[in-house]
Amino acid sequence: MQSQQTTPNHGKKHAIVRVGQALISFFAQFFRDLRDGDLWVRLSLVVFGAGYFRRGQIVKGILVTALQAFVFIFYPIALWPYVSKFGTLGTVKRAAVFNPVTLKNEVNDFDHSFMILLFGLVGILVIAAVVLFWIKNIHAVRGLQITDENNRKILQEMEKLEQLARQNGADAQELHRKMQVLKANTKRINRFSDDICNLFNRKFHITLLTLPSLGVMLFTILPLLVMICVAFTNYDQTHMVPTNLFTWVGLNNFKTLFTQSQTITFGYSFGRVLSWTLIWAFFATFTNFIFGILLAMFINNRKTHWKRMWRTLFIITIAVPQFVSLLLVRNFFANTGIVNTIFASVGITDFLKQIGLLSQSYAYIPFLTDPVWAKVMIILINMWIGIPYMMLIATGILMNIPSDILESARIDGANAFQSFRKITMPYILFVTAPYLVTSITANINNFNVIYLLTNDVFVTKDQLLANSNAQEVDLLVTWLYRLTQNYYNYKMASVIGIVIFIISAVFTVLAFRILIRGDREERFQ
Amino acid sequence: MKKILAVFLAVSMLLGLTVTALAEDTVALLVWVGDDADQAWINGVIDNFKAANPTTTFDIKVGIQSESTAKATVLTDITAAADVFTFADDQLGELVNAGALQPVSLNVEDVIARNVGGSVAASTVDGTLYAYPATADNGYFMFYNKEYFTEEDVMSMDAMLAKAAAAGKKVSMEMSGGWYMYSSFAGAGLTMRLLPDGVNNECNWNATDTPIKGVDVAQAMLDIAGNSGFVNQGDGEFVTGVKDGTVIAGINGVWNANTASEAWGDNYAATKLPTYTAAGQQVQMASFAGYKLVGVNAYSANVGWAMIFADFMTNEQSQVSRFALRGQGPSNIAAGESPEVQASPAIVALAEQNPYATTQRVGGNYWGPAASFGAIIYGGNADGTDLQTLLDNMVAGITAPVQ
Repeated sequence: MQSQQTTPNHGKKHAIVRVGQALISFFAQFFRDLRDGDLWVRLSLVVFGAGYFRRGQIVKGILVTALQAFVFIFYPIALWPYVSKFGTLGTVKRAAVFNPVTLKNEVNDFDHSFMILLFGLVGILVIAAVVLFWIKNIHAVRGLQITDENNRKILQEMEKLEQLARQNGADAQELHRKMQVLKANTKRINRFSDDICNLFNRKFHITLLTLPSLGVMLFTILPLLVMICVAFTNYDQTHMVPTNLFTWVGLNNFKTLFTQSQTITFGYSFGRVLSWTLIWAFFATFTNFIFGILLAMFINNRKTHWKRMWRTLFIITIAVPQFVSLLLVRNFFANTGIVNTIFASVGITDFLKQIGLLSQSYAYIPFLTDPVWAKVMIILINMWIGIPYMMLIATGILMNIPSDILESARIDGANAFQSFRKITMPYILFVTAPYLVTSITANINNFNVIYLLTNDVFVTKDQLLANSNAQEVDLLVTWLYRLTQNYYNYKMASVIGIVIFIISAVFTVLAFRILIRGDREERFQ
Repeated sequence: MKKILAVFLAVSMLLGLTVTALAEDTVALLVWVGDDADQAWINGVIDNFKAANPTTTFDIKVGIQSESTAKATVLTDITAAADVFTFADDQLGELVNAGALQPVSLNVEDVIARNVGGSVAASTVDGTLYAYPATADNGYFMFYNKEYFTEEDVMSMDAMLAKAAAAGKKVSMEMSGGWYMYSSFAGAGLTMRLLPDGVNNECNWNATDTPIKGVDVAQAMLDIAGNSGFVNQGDGEFVTGVKDGTVIAGINGVWNANTASEAWGDNYAATKLPTYTAAGQQVQMASFAGYKLVGVNAYSANVGWAMIFADFMTNEQSQVSRFALRGQGPSNIAAGESPEVQASPAIVALAEQNPYATTQRVGGNYWGPAASFGAIIYGGNADGTDLQTLLDNMVAGITAPVQ
């Protein structure tokens, strides 16, 4: 469709409007193809390959028809049983009777809600793909028809010209020139070998990307869609597959997430967990970032000796698997752990009591068992684990700063702090901005540190949190893990998963827009 | 999302495996036992089983899956779980509810007759036997060091705490956990149990109209927690405490019996739980009776042979060898009467505690709120919240419908 009503602000038209227009023009095209197409084009509605056969593309016609036949035979057998139950997610519960003679269970033909959800979704996607292919196919055969008719017309004209020339005995050269012009207007209809050739030349991207796209569809998009669907069902401990069935419940779970009563405390817990998740993400990212850069600068300083040794020492923490060191640290800081023993015998525990940092009732420092202490400890321990990584990155960047810039700054009289603030820091920020954004998102989902440090150790004293299986130190993602792993609350976990996704996505898009603008490079120069 | 995908792949893989397994004549079984140390015992059982059934070819494989977390692994994907697995009896309700357990359908009368009543009750839901009792030692009792306590002292918590405080030592118990904390409330005659639906709980621990009110129990716990002779410890900390000598008594289970007897030597002793003071009276602490059960996967391809094996794995002969090799107390009546079993202090203590023990039937919503309440009490109720409010909140959480 031509857009006659192009307005000056066309480029800023709302995305939804543009998608709508594209859809309308897509279907309008389909109906025009049908209206203008000949019998063979219309026949392609039923036999997908008909149009190709008519234009001599026999192999392509066979392939397309074979694909159609495969889908039409395979679909009712393999997918339709699931798709037809997609609305209810199954109604027949499993019932087994033990047969003492065969020593086997005789089981009825029961519905498996999760399989219905999964393969029903696959079935719906296949239908969508077939419809799309069907429409595209009509357009393709209509295109072939146009080309073919055009070629015929030109051929007729050429014949006419030749006849005329023969009758009039015209200039042979002039005739040849005219024929050439006409011939140039014809379009060759691809043979099958041409199509194959194309896949290695002009359409090479299709050859390359088909397999990866299929992989992405199968291993990323499909599970994602399934998980999103689970958020709208009652899939939980009382509805566990394969023995029990679950079904659609609409937006109930989303309501639960924002409900606050004495028995349902998800609303309260969600607020608490979300705010700690964001605070954690901020501190975990920026403490590592700042101290990592400082450490790299100290080591890189001209006056530091044995640079390599220092670097190696810090990198050793990376070499030890994270979960090993975290579990060890958890034991160090246990209520009866080694740190508490030392602190008590040296007198630090009593000192903390005297200055009021520790309540008198404690005989130990509740490093990982008191909410405030635990949160501080988690951030500190995370620094110990994360700083070496940032130090590595920063070291690389620092070595790349052109030394002539720093040199000339020094000659111009800038002191160390000034050249750090005006040259080094902007340079590092510029290079690491994408890393910073992604590491904030990664920290929102930083499961390891929180879970390994507090699992089996931390018991919440907030009864409202306890009633929805949450803890003060939980991130959304560890809460989600506990809900699925210990309480089989897949539906709420799925709702929380969607919320995490939205938060991460919005944050990432905003951060990239603000931090990484196209003109940043010039500004830095 | 990765998880679901993994499950999906596992299912398809399993389907493939079952197809190939069906094609052969051998009976393939996967058996999960609780601990690596069970290997020698289970391999002996498998050899005996093969010898007892010479006409059939078996391919029996052994895997390790802790009894305390068997439910979690099984329910993650029932079709990928072992054909025969061991689990702690508290998981029975949820396993039955998820349809993971095959009702015992072969040799039922014998299984019921040869095991102690409590273990059979712990394997039964709505009159159907769902599992084979394997041990009767999974409950808790009081360990103590005779150097510090007389047999008189260990009758009451007050006396024990007084002696421990005087000696600068500790009596240990995990108050910030639902399992042990149950003993105080249940001892005072308050109830918390699973509803017939098998998922939700019923609880009156906040009652104000009972002879001993919920608040009385909470106050008693607060007093115990505040005593300088008391310490709240998890399993690992208890072991550390016993070894380094700071802990001279504690409520714990058979699994730590060896640690205690090694540390205390001849002074090692065990008995039933003591009484404690609530509302001015002495109240006997109750407990959860614990059993290890063997279940058969309802989705097993060889469900009949799996039942026959589970039956064999829990018969008198197997339980005797289990006690001999692993020190685990038998649920089999005949095996339990042997002099060796009767000489074990831990098992005798469990028998003494038995009249005050109830089968552990608890819905999942119990643990979080109960642990949180225990932690608040052990922390001395630092915020000074009204005890009745704390109890009401806990009961609301425990009885919240699973949704």
